[in-house]
Amino acid sequence: MPPALVAAVTGGKGGTGKSFVATNIAVLLSRQLELLLADLDVEAPNDHLLLGATRLENEEPIAVFFPLIDYNRCTACGACAKACDTGAIVMARGTPPMVMPRLCSGCRACLYACPYNAISSEGRRVIGYTYSTPIRRSGGFRLVTGLLREGEEHTPPAVVAAKRRALRETPDEGLLIVDTGAGTGNSISAAIQEAELVIAVTEPTPLGLHDLKAILEIARGMGKRIWLVVNRAGIAGHEKHVELAKAYGAEKTFLIPFDPQAARSYARGAPAVEECPACPASKALQELAQALLAEAREKGVKAK
Amino acid sequence: MKVPEIRPPVELVVASGKGGVGKSTLTAVLALTLAEKGYRLVAVDADAEAPNLHLVLGVEEWSRVDEVREGRLAYILDDRCTRCNICAEVCTYGAVEVKDGRYTINPYICEGCLTCSLACPPKAIRYRFRVKSGEIRVAETHYGFTLVSAETMPGRPNSGKLVTEAKNLGKKLLGPSGVLLVDAAAGIGCQVVSSLTGAQLVVLVAEPTLASLSDLKRIHKLTKHFGIAPMLVINKYDLNIDTLPLIEEYAEKENIPVIGRIPYDPSVPKAMAEAKPITVYDPDSPAAKAAKSIANHIAENVLPHWRAWWAKYRPRKPEPYVPIILRPGQDNSRKHA
Repeated sequence: MPPALVAAVTGGKGGTGKSFVATNIAVLLSRQLELLLADLDVEAPNDHLLLGATRLENEEPIAVFFPLIDYNRCTACGACAKACDTGAIVMARGTPPMVMPRLCSGCRACLYACPYNAISSEGRRVIGYTYSTPIRRSGGFRLVTGLLREGEEHTPPAVVAAKRRALRETPDEGLLIVDTGAGTGNSISAAIQEAELVIAVTEPTPLGLHDLKAILEIARGMGKRIWLVVNRAGIAGHEKHVELAKAYGAEKTFLIPFDPQAARSYARGAPAVEECPACPASKALQELAQALLAEAREKGVKAK
Repeated sequence: MKVPEIRPPVELVVASGKGGVGKSTLTAVLALTLAEKGYRLVAVDADAEAPNLHLVLGVEEWSRVDEVREGRLAYILDDRCTRCNICAEVCTYGAVEVKDGRYTINPYICEGCLTCSLACPPKAIRYRFRVKSGEIRVAETHYGFTLVSAETMPGRPNSGKLVTEAKNLGKKLLGPSGVLLVDAAAGIGCQVVSSLTGAQLVVLVAEPTLASLSDLKRIHKLTKHFGIAPMLVINKYDLNIDTLPLIEEYAEKENIPVIGRIPYDPSVPKAMAEAKPITVYDPDSPAAKAAKSIANHIAENVLPHWRAWWAKYRPRKPEPYVPIILRPGQDNSRKHA
């Protein structure tokens, strides 16, 4: 059964506090709800560290298609190289094609383009791993993590693989919280695809504002509902951020004040809402979690 | 100090793995310092999905904007579609969505790989070609150097290609000598690979958090694939004194010289709000002083003798990227195979 609600935490700029927000609200909501947290920042996954998990568990390889060419059948016609969008199949005139593994995205275009059945459909390449780690904090929940191998450059297939595992392992009628990476490309849109609600985390600087706009563009274009979170509120003005998000139809705004004590708990890998529940940042996170809890109840997310 | 002519140009990348640790803030100070000392210099903002360097440098107008139209976008002809679901099954990106029995392709996810159109039995899938994938922009900054900046369209793929093109334009503008200073994206994906390709030196930026340490290890491993000589800057080092030793121990173990530590400083976000590099906004602030001394060190001790520096700190043993390829009937998928 699919999750009753999928909420995605994203933001565009790096270091705005996406993982900080996602891990803390997961910890808070796990007391009341059946939920799963998915760390889809496959290039730099850190949620397990922020939750104090010492190791990732239940490894599964992310195996994407890889063209293995049968040179007995290949006529060097060039159809595969022509179909390849990433330039992974190189061919000098009249010589058989060669595949550059790093460039290959695993899309299978060559497989379907080859008129001679010279490409096996069974070749695979491991571009990363997914993990499913039980987090024994608070009410307890499962963390699914995607990890891209160093040297691989095709992020979206790894995001999709981790997302599919998260959807599969979310408790029936549960809540799925997705944490995305930095950026505004299609690896981010792939991560938020199933989400009904996008929680955009920004920082009160012109840099945060610039990248927030791109994320709001995607979220609105994909028909998502939007909530805005301004993290480290107070270090500079955030009026423009709030105004911009409203123009994109944001329903709610939450301000998390800059809070050195919360930052220290983040650095050590302990959720601020557990370490110092009375900290100003924790209070704001509780408010966000309450709003999400109300939303989840309305959608019929299963209670614990 | 007489500034040496660096011929052919050297490529210096600022990277971190983790986002928001201060890459653009440091890159701006470094660029200003090098320009001030008389280096020939082009700065490249290689974070095409979240380009911010122009904001830190207070760029108000672009002298040149090139549209990049290399994208392809699939769409489905509904009257030809037989709802066989094959496109949805073959799409690696999960871009095919079914709404009320109609098959559509999500334009924010589609990579333009052609696979669905090749696999579609009734040939119901067409492509729009020359879709705008982004822009490459050029500006003359107030500080006497040129900035090249890449920006991808929201939700579009292949930001790495834009980065490569921005770097190529930067090299062309730089000419036969000087420094190409590249501000990389967060992460270790295609944009970062494009940033590091061809580079000789990298400034790694980390903050004393477990998250940053983990990302530092990953980006460092990637720089080893490329044989690049690293140096490390620890930003906001005083925010978490107890995690600081973990970063320093890693650097020592891996022969990465720590070239400076920058304290947490509330002036930094204020400088951003004013669209000024920290050394211009408040040169006497603790962060400005620390960043300036790091930039001076690079200008005076690293770049003039960059080949010697590279020879001293380059990875000792080559660690090339080795793909894991599975042939039918074979399982070497485990991490520590």
